Amino acid sequence: MRLQGVDVAVIGAGPAGMAAAIRAKEAGAQRVLLVERQEELGGLLHQCIHNGFGLLYFGEDLTGPEYAKRFIDRVYDLGVETLLETTVLEISPEREIKVINKGGLQSFRPKAVVLAMGCRERTRDQLGIPGGRPAGIFTAGTAQRLVNVEGLLPGRRVVILGSGDVGMIMARRLSLEGARVEAVVEILPYVGGLIRNEVQCLHDFDIPLLLEHTVTEVHGERRLEGVTVAKVDSHRRPIPGTEVQMECDTLLLSVGLIPENELSRRAGVELDPLTGGPIVDQWRETTVPGVFAGGNVLHVHDLVDNCSWEAELAAEGAVRFAKGERTEGREICLRPGRNVRYVVPQRIRGEGPVTLFLRVREMEEGVRVRVGDLWQKRFRVVKPSEQIKVELSHKDLRRLPDGVAEIRVECEVAG
Amino acid sequence: MKEAQIICVGCPLGCRATLKVSREGEVLEVTGCRCKEGRRYVVEEFRNPVRVLTATVLTEGSRVPLLPVRTSSPIPKEKLREAMKVLAKVRAKPPLRAGEVVLEDLSGTGVDLVATRDLPS
Repeated sequence: MRLQGVDVAVIGAGPAGMAAAIRAKEAGAQRVLLVERQEELGGLLHQCIHNGFGLLYFGEDLTGPEYAKRFIDRVYDLGVETLLETTVLEISPEREIKVINKGGLQSFRPKAVVLAMGCRERTRDQLGIPGGRPAGIFTAGTAQRLVNVEGLLPGRRVVILGSGDVGMIMARRLSLEGARVEAVVEILPYVGGLIRNEVQCLHDFDIPLLLEHTVTEVHGERRLEGVTVAKVDSHRRPIPGTEVQMECDTLLLSVGLIPENELSRRAGVELDPLTGGPIVDQWRETTVPGVFAGGNVLHVHDLVDNCSWEAELAAEGAVRFAKGERTEGREICLRPGRNVRYVVPQRIRGEGPVTLFLRVREMEEGVRVRVGDLWQKRFRVVKPSEQIKVELSHKDLRRLPDGVAEIRVECEVAG
Repeated sequence: MKEAQIICVGCPLGCRATLKVSREGEVLEVTGCRCKEGRRYVVEEFRNPVRVLTATVLTEGSRVPLLPVRTSSPIPKEKLREAMKVLAKVRAKPPLRAGEVVLEDLSGTGVDLVATRDLPS
């Protein structure tokens, strides 16, 4: 394939990358190239066989593979060029992309790039659980791939650490496939994922949920034989004397996701320590001109629909850049204030509209979420597990007085 | 009279509703819901809890070992286990297109089992 003369190159063909490539084509880019490491398009969607996808994007309740298929068909219908089984080795600050596949090593320089590499799971190494290195400890996503794609059951008696959505969904999946899930162990005082999953994945299958508990040790030489579980105090430290032993042959970890930004870093893209993803403006342009980012590579979303939507914004920005239309105008920083963990985008350049995502630090009832004096809304409850999406219009931004350089995004206690 | 506890899954609030139920199983009173839609949900969830079942079935004559499947509409919750036993015996043969019926009338529910992706040979 001739790689010279590409307008927009999209890195990664999951829910974000596919949506970005489609939108880039729709927005008028001549040549759009989608680069994917796997042998087919779709990314993690193929292993997410459960439903709950597309409720916002399509207004339908789809499974992961069904959601993927809608985008895959459109990618091919529109004539997006695809480069499968291809790994991107490097993106330079000048947007020179180095790729490798069976055909060898190639380099090219597209007019604009959209980063859509998604995220990775945190592993045992990042938690530092003491004990040996027996077989039987998996991340929830790896177990999901084994069960749903490869047809292998990772074990028969399972403990799951972390009550994020993937962990709870795997609790149900393993129960249905005949494994026994001893418990889901959560260090926080509340469940990490959606309430729907707590009810339909745990309660439906009588799986105990141990809040304010954690795994403090793993046992076993060749294969996992059990774990020690202890209660934690308000600083999340295990309380001595509360340890109990749980027999199990498998431990699944569902303990958070990290945006995958090795390539971004080497391209010189500045990252936000709060999100783990690039610092971007409202077009999702990073600090490297012509390099855009969307989906979980930017910040971890709760819903795949939002990954696709955000990547479309990045694609629109990329097409504008490729056509030589630059965003000029004043620059305003968005800063997280009271009970706000992060805000994306981190800055606004020029005019609106602006689609903004934020996540709170702590669960709180009866609050008003406020974006400076531009926007505010009352919420009966805000939770770290439920991202908040805010749309600021062109008109909203026009109301901003001259000379404002910073807007605080915060939760205030509603009167 | 008895009481039933049901958590509403409609929104992040997760209201914990209490239903007062007569001996005949009629819902007399709902407390603890903060909206109308929630009240409707918890009563329905009490009377007839249903779920969409998603799972996989083994394939025969395909290069991929599994085919992901779903029920075409929700089935009674208490039928999930029984349905899984039926699924364990199903062998999907290519070619199949996403949306095609793999098995009709799963466990007497009147609901079909459909493929959620294309099955290549």
